[in-house]
Amino acid sequence: MENVRLIINFLGQLLPAINITLVVSVSSIILGSLLGLGLAAAKKSESAILRVISAVYVSVIRATPSIIMIFVVYYGMPLLFSGWFHVNIEGWNRMYFVIIALTLLFSAPVSEIMRSAYESVSKGQMEAGLMVGMTPFQTFYRILLPQAFVVALPNFANSVINLLKEGALTFTIGVVDMVAKAQMIVANNSGGYAWQTYCALALIYWVISLAIDKGVTLVEKSYQAKRKTIAA
Amino acid sequence: MLKIDHLKKGYEGNEILKGISLDVNKGDVISIIGPSGSGKTTLLRNITTLERADGGHIQFAGVDKDFQKLSSQDIQTIRRNVGFVFQNYNLFNNKTALQNITEGLIVARKVKKSEAEKIALKALERVGLSDRQNHYPSQLSGGQQQRVGIARAVALNPQVIFFDEPTSALDPELVGEVLKVMRDLAESGTTMVVVTHQMNFARHVSNKVIFMADGYIVEQGSPEEVFAHPSETRTKEFLTDILANV
Ligand SMILES: Nc1ncnc2c1ncn2[C@@H]1O[C@H](COP(=O)(O)OP(=O)(O)O)[C@@H](O)[C@H]1O
Ligand SMILES: [Mg+2]
Repeated sequence: MENVRLIINFLGQLLPAINITLVVSVSSIILGSLLGLGLAAAKKSESAILRVISAVYVSVIRATPSIIMIFVVYYGMPLLFSGWFHVNIEGWNRMYFVIIALTLLFSAPVSEIMRSAYESVSKGQMEAGLMVGMTPFQTFYRILLPQAFVVALPNFANSVINLLKEGALTFTIGVVDMVAKAQMIVANNSGGYAWQTYCALALIYWVISLAIDKGVTLVEKSYQAKRKTIAA
Repeated sequence: MLKIDHLKKGYEGNEILKGISLDVNKGDVISIIGPSGSGKTTLLRNITTLERADGGHIQFAGVDKDFQKLSSQDIQTIRRNVGFVFQNYNLFNNKTALQNITEGLIVARKVKKSEAEKIALKALERVGLSDRQNHYPSQLSGGQQQRVGIARAVALNPQVIFFDEPTSALDPELVGEVLKVMRDLAESGTTMVVVTHQMNFARHVSNKVIFMADGYIVEQGSPEEVFAHPSETRTKEFLTDILANV
């Protein structure tokens, strides 16, 4: 009972830092999805060079552990910027480095998910769109994209949950997210109540991923329900 | 109304269409018959710009150009004046029967939604599917899907509708309902170019029959000429084979 009370207490102390985690995650998801879309488009493009670049990028990124990516970006980018553009970015908010690292990491699996979802929609859908006079873009946007979206959704949600977990490494370059906060709490208690603190942290991650799963199920259900009620 | 001259198309050096010329007049119902692999689908896809021909000339809807010189504006013009009925229907899977028809009207033709729905309902009625307007393709039989496919093409009121073996993917018992719709269209004066293995349709509904083999038009003429008095040996052989297999 005492433990439960402690865990609840730690939850209260950790939760304020959730902002950082959410900002980092949401930014990386949005930017990573856009980059992933670009990569998927490159992979399907007519240009052999673009296809190769996209394939190599995806295979390298997929093999890179997140902690290494975060360090490479954090230590490497300032050197790159000062070397190439003579711009000093060492003073940047460290959160930006994490967002960039996670964006790069997220873009690779997402591009694969988008590509395979796109390929799952038959070529005939595009041709039918063209034959009723719509442009390729109109057909893509109104016919192909909605169908690919439903196919991609479950895998996309999985990748989001992975990203969330990889984001737990944010503390390694000194950003005060929930993980860093937990470490501080443990340190303040001279190493005491460590497992209760981290349990509280794990609980938070669990609830977030539950919420993501629930959200996906709701979206899927609404798609199915729409079909049922209309046809009934 | 539509005039094609010496259309050529090949894939990787393999010439599939070896110079096809074709005239379609208003109200024509042209059946294209021929063995599988002879280039019938390829012909329809090249005329309608789903594929880009390697050579030849097209005169249609104000466009009068070599295929290779078509601008994207020309292509859009051609597409807006043809209808296409696919062998495997290709209905938009994320749209209801009604939406399948209104989509092109609203998005491409800029027709008001209420007006588009009126037109679509009329088209559905014409193919006998008024009661299925809110069904998704996955909830329709093959024959019903193809009838929606036909309604989708008809509703846009194109100058000519191309049909690529519209009944070939159907179970035999569903072929009749689709053929009936096509016959009604033909009788109401719709201009149609139909690739088909339905010899009854070719013989009794169309006013012109084209026999294709190996990328050439081997023979063409009235149904009477082609079916009763074919002049080419290849035509005779094909007809003997296909009629024996019915
Ligand atoms: N995209 C393509 N790439 C390569 N060959 C093709 C392609 N499309 C059709 N062909 C070839 O062209 C020939 C004619 O095909 P098609 O027009 O589908 O014949 P039909 O419709 O008369 O049965 C076939 O030999 C086919 O293999
Ligand atoms: Mg064919």
